[in-house]
Amino acid sequence: MNRIARTCAMLASLVAAPFAATAQDWTPPGPITLMIGFAAGGGADTQARLVASGVEDKTGWTILPQQVTGNSGLNLAKELSTAPADGTVIGMVVSETLAYNAVIAGDPALQAENFTPLATTAAFQMGLIAVADGRFSTWDKVKAEAEAGTPIRFGVATERQADMAYHFGLETGIPFNIVSVAGGAEIMNGVRAGDLDIGWVAGAQAKAVTAGELVNIATAIPTPLAESPDAPSIVDLGSEFYLDGYFMFIAPKDIPEEARVALAQAIADVASDPNTQAGALIQRSFGGAAVLTGAELDAYIAKGVQDSSQLLEAIK
Amino acid sequence: MNRVNGDAVLGAAIVVASVLAVLVWVPRDTGSAIVEVVRGSMRIGDALAPTIGFSLLGIAGLILMIEARATGSTLRLDRFDLVFIAGVGGIFLCAMLLMRWSGPLAAALFSDESYRNLRGTLPWKYVGFIIGGGFMIGTLISLVDRRLTARVYLLGFVVALCLALVYDLPFGSLLLPPNGDV
Amino acid sequence: MDYVLLGIQSVFSNTAMFSVFGVGIPSCLVTLFLGLLTGIAVGATPGLAGPTAMAVSLPILISVFGVRPDALLPVFGFLIGVMKGATVGGAVPAILFNVPGTPDAIMTTLDGHPMAKRGMPRRALRIAHFSSVTGDTASDIVLFVCAPFLAIMVERFLDLPEKTALIILSLTFISSVMGSSVGKGLIAVALGVLAATVATGQTFHPRLTLGIDGLQNGFPMVSAVLGALILGEIFVTLNDIWRGERQASTVQSSHGDVADGLQKGDLRRIMPHIARSSVIGTLIGALPGVGSTLAATLGYTVGRGIHKRRKRPEDPDFGEGAPEGIAATEAANSAVSGANLIPVLSLGIPGNAAAVFLILAADSIGGFNPGPAVFNFTRPQINPELVVAFGIFTLMALGNLLNWTIGGAFMRAMSVMSRIPIRLLLPIVLMVTLTAIYIQDTRMAALWITFGFGILGFFFRRLDIPVLPFVIAFILAGTLENTARQAFSATGGDPFFLFRSATSVIFLLMAVAIIVFLGRRKGHGAAATHPN
Repeated sequence: MNRIARTCAMLASLVAAPFAATAQDWTPPGPITLMIGFAAGGGADTQARLVASGVEDKTGWTILPQQVTGNSGLNLAKELSTAPADGTVIGMVVSETLAYNAVIAGDPALQAENFTPLATTAAFQMGLIAVADGRFSTWDKVKAEAEAGTPIRFGVATERQADMAYHFGLETGIPFNIVSVAGGAEIMNGVRAGDLDIGWVAGAQAKAVTAGELVNIATAIPTPLAESPDAPSIVDLGSEFYLDGYFMFIAPKDIPEEARVALAQAIADVASDPNTQAGALIQRSFGGAAVLTGAELDAYIAKGVQDSSQLLEAIK
Repeated sequence: MNRVNGDAVLGAAIVVASVLAVLVWVPRDTGSAIVEVVRGSMRIGDALAPTIGFSLLGIAGLILMIEARATGSTLRLDRFDLVFIAGVGGIFLCAMLLMRWSGPLAAALFSDESYRNLRGTLPWKYVGFIIGGGFMIGTLISLVDRRLTARVYLLGFVVALCLALVYDLPFGSLLLPPNGDV
Repeated sequence: MDYVLLGIQSVFSNTAMFSVFGVGIPSCLVTLFLGLLTGIAVGATPGLAGPTAMAVSLPILISVFGVRPDALLPVFGFLIGVMKGATVGGAVPAILFNVPGTPDAIMTTLDGHPMAKRGMPRRALRIAHFSSVTGDTASDIVLFVCAPFLAIMVERFLDLPEKTALIILSLTFISSVMGSSVGKGLIAVALGVLAATVATGQTFHPRLTLGIDGLQNGFPMVSAVLGALILGEIFVTLNDIWRGERQASTVQSSHGDVADGLQKGDLRRIMPHIARSSVIGTLIGALPGVGSTLAATLGYTVGRGIHKRRKRPEDPDFGEGAPEGIAATEAANSAVSGANLIPVLSLGIPGNAAAVFLILAADSIGGFNPGPAVFNFTRPQINPELVVAFGIFTLMALGNLLNWTIGGAFMRAMSVMSRIPIRLLLPIVLMVTLTAIYIQDTRMAALWITFGFGILGFFFRRLDIPVLPFVIAFILAGTLENTARQAFSATGGDPFFLFRSATSVIFLLMAVAIIVFLGRRKGHGAAATHPN
């Protein structure tokens, strides 16, 4: 686990290094508004606020966080798209907002090219979970139950997760009963209470898995899960896509290059430094920061958009 | 029983409105039908809950009409209520406008910076809140008292200032109105 | 039965966990204490009630303690303090000035004020305090035992379709039982459901928003709840004052030379009344939506009947300053408050305004979702929600203790609060509420939405439509739609999923029976109750 963290931190410093020259040149003309696309009080909201206060400490800028929630981040995107493009308004969402959600919503104003991605902070630790000693605790058991004709209730928290579950079912020949619930925590509760059999959870399961109560039947991201390194990946099991994603900061289209560089560097520095409160939180919850900036991030988003279109095509 | 049974009228109006809503509004302003086929299986669409809600409302309207016939009306609404609530609405509208635009106006008159860039600094960030809030408190009390006095406005401005201090001083990241909107 | 034992056991094993908090416990105690004082003061102020104080203090509390899970207990501590304090404080102006401080104290005026006029205000206050705290404590004990048990039953035996049916049953019950007519109750519930559906759909099209940008995120719960409950009440009261319909009668109590204070034998005399009213209050409180006003009325009425038969000839009748009258009323209305949390904590269904605010607090802070999942004893790891639940119980018990010890003295000191002019106070409360909402939801649109719900609340009150069913339906509608959706999907798209199990069919039949039965009774002019 620490190895991943260290690699990420190293990666971050490598990416951040080229900025050093230009980053000093920019200061925001006024306070920066940080729109947070997550419900107040949740883990993501806490992360956003801690990153903001870390950036304030580091740079002396003023950041004013406010909640802009709803519609899976698209409400935030909509508001951000008309905000002044001078670096004084930024937002925090998940990469899925600009990729899958924007594609499926179809509104041209909300597409990824209308925004400037700044930096990612942490990657989803997405796993397919079930109760540890239950009837669905391994992929083979799931398959066997499906062959025996048991309807399998699959908990999902977003539309993309639902489509991925459906796609996964198509590829593996299992017709899941896909059940949409409010979030990862609710999926875990549903699985515990027996209302659901399996479901996607993006990192909140770590504690319960370590405690031996839940298991990751499979991992849905390209890298192994820290607490279940041996879980097969869904691509190994037949899926064409991963269900990966990042928490990320974005700005409106066409903000000045020096503003983008300065903001991205400040965020990346805070997120990948475990001595800041934000860095410590990311270390605790995600096993370390995962920072993408600049061209690398642009490429990731572009790939995400492309994957989303292909996913939608694949499940038609 | 009086000339028109208020409850019966209310019930009838509700029935008409809900029928219209179910037939016209709900189908046009929802993203999916009552049930839809997604990902190869049926699921409940976005139109189901509003349809049930309006149907329930319609049924409630019918029950109300029936009940009204048996027991008479228990409405207590009259023209003075409407006058009063219109007055309150007018006060609220003015207060909101003052709250939103006093700061930018002050910035335009007395500073070279835009209010947007000043919204995090004293005294600018309190301007709209205190003027709008004080106006609202003072005018509402005046409305109830049926006379205008400077004292109640003074009270309003002092209360607004205290509120601003209570929220803003200890908690740096909180935003007072209207500073989240500029 | 095992589960009750298990529950009690967990309470004790939790004490160890509590000392780990170290810092947590003292801050809870401080907020509980402050909350209690605030509650008594607010209860003693005519026109203000517990919910208003909760509404105004909630955002301040959240600013102080943040929105982390460890903020839950201090915030709940304050709210519980307010809740407990307000039930006690409401009796003060009722006894001294014949003005009920809270709606439940209306019946307290009947005997409390005459007793005060006969020169025994201290005795009346002491009796009110003693009865109120006793009733509250009894009811809390029932809550501690019943809530975990009920929750476990629900989780054990109810699957998604049955949970859907249970919510439908509760909503039907609430709509039928509150307000003057079933039709109006249903209107309130239907409007609550509709308000909750705005912009909350599953597709990316925000439904029923008419394309208005400010509604993209629907109606936030704080705006809807505070608007309808608090702003609506403020507008109605201001309107009454404006029309000159509200003149506070300030009959001063004459201090004669009659011996004041508790008299020998008072406790023995009122004890049976307290016990009976506690049972009545607890039973009524356990049903969602039936308010403390009804409990007080029932407790008083039953008490009067028995008192008539048993009293000695020289004792005063009910209505002439009988200590039994105060006791019967205050024990009943206070016994509601503990039992009222049974449906919230075990089912996630709020039954009264105080419970609504506990849900609102839990919703704003996160990390605690009142409902059956809270009482999950079987997890191998420590279930943090369960710790919070037992933390709440502990706080309630401590609150009672504080109420016993210092509540009485503070209550008697609070008679000054009744003199604050309400016409100045209410516009200020309005301003504080709006500011508090903006702090949580930084958009001017949120203020407009709150104001809109305030206007709606005003018209509800003028049209005699009960407000609380609207608020409760608003809160439950989201859960209802999601549970139904999940049940529908989990059964593989079975359109009759509600009718596949005996339990859910029974729930639905009960819902229909309630409408028919109560509808008929109310049609025949049964006493309408207006729960707070």
